[in-house]
Amino acid sequence: MLKSITIGQFIPGDSLLHRLDARAKFIALLLVIIAVFVVRSFWGYLLLAVFISALLYTAKLPLHYFLRGLRPVYYIMLFTLIIHLFFTKGGAVLLSLGAVTIEANGVYLGIFMVLRIIFLIVSTSLLTLTTSPIALTDALEDLMKPLGKIGVPAHEIAMMMTIALRFIPTLMEEAEKIMKAQMARGADFETGNVFRRAKSLVPLLVPLFVSSFRRADDLAVAMEARCYRGGQGRTRMRQLKITMLDIFAVGISAALIPLMLLLT
Amino acid sequence: MKEKFLLRDLVYIAFLAALTSVLAYFAIPMPGGLPPLTGQSLGVMLAGLLLGAKKGAASQMVYLCLGLLGMPIFANGTAGVGVLAGPTGGFIWGFVAGAFVCGKLTEKNSHATFFSLAVAAALGGVVVVYLPGILQLAAVASVTLTEAVVMMLPFLPGDLIKALLAASLAQKIRPLTKNS
Repeated sequence: MLKSITIGQFIPGDSLLHRLDARAKFIALLLVIIAVFVVRSFWGYLLLAVFISALLYTAKLPLHYFLRGLRPVYYIMLFTLIIHLFFTKGGAVLLSLGAVTIEANGVYLGIFMVLRIIFLIVSTSLLTLTTSPIALTDALEDLMKPLGKIGVPAHEIAMMMTIALRFIPTLMEEAEKIMKAQMARGADFETGNVFRRAKSLVPLLVPLFVSSFRRADDLAVAMEARCYRGGQGRTRMRQLKITMLDIFAVGISAALIPLMLLLT
Repeated sequence: MKEKFLLRDLVYIAFLAALTSVLAYFAIPMPGGLPPLTGQSLGVMLAGLLLGAKKGAASQMVYLCLGLLGMPIFANGTAGVGVLAGPTGGFIWGFVAGAFVCGKLTEKNSHATFFSLAVAAALGGVVVVYLPGILQLAAVASVTLTEAVVMMLPFLPGDLIKALLAASLAQKIRPLTKNS
């Protein structure tokens, strides 16, 4: 039931994209996503495709890493395409089988929406494949700092994210251990109908949660004992630095949005 | 998330976020070609039922942020801004609100019955999660609301089973953690 997984999709490298500041990459990605949403014509998509392909080339990573991200949304893409094919009407009738017709607008809109999903997923993979989780957490903390004025605890959020990141693999292991222990006592996780199998999760999840809470208590005590007192005056080992290249990257991504609006 | 949390609460929130991520990897196949039952929304319901409204919502916030940064912890090991902005992203936004509602409905009542826990889980973890989910699905894939609802119908039976499971788990775990 539990696949062994590697947390984080980050692939170390030395490409231009790897060296960009995580904050700059994050903002640039948000701009690209806005661009994807305001595209009005296939010319816009063509330009985006050229832009993203250029980035893929600069990242110097094998292409299948990017395509892997598309597999889970396959169902949604297929469904979107089918719904538009059959239910969006207008334009020339391309095919008619009795009461069912496929019309030009449906084909157009269907392909348009599927392309939108593909661009969203691939451009996101670009960020996560070229930036380490720690750099991303630091970047998010830094970007959220201005929000501190309206009460968003940026440091606390980053700290909780780091703790969660640290413990996801540990808890996975724990779950696996409890599963084996219960199987040794005769528990059956693999057969039976849905209700049986959902019920079989109870002797797995109750110990998992209880032991997690115990672990959390230990960690809180350990942090208190080491005088953890929040982000005030805390220094960092890695400092984030903005270079000309970062400004350039954000600038180019920002320029995409008006371009998309112009290409009709 | 206006007030500061205690350190212990902070760690609890982080752990619930981690547990939600672990649960996202659990999948039980459903009969009749229905999409599999994944544990992710189980994490949402349990976060609300175990930590209460504010902390539960905060844990889902942390979960969302982790996924945003590319940890493959959303359903089927997906991640990233693209998923959040994509067709199914609304459900993930809904998790924060869902955990909040689950918590709000049960946090005052420390001896909640199985029935009231299950109702809270179904309302928060299913209804509240589906609302933004369906709205965003309709907007991003540009289908009508009815079509979006039809697309999500196959997921409903699994989610209702999960609400029952979450209630029975919460009933067993709550007395063991109430010392917080």
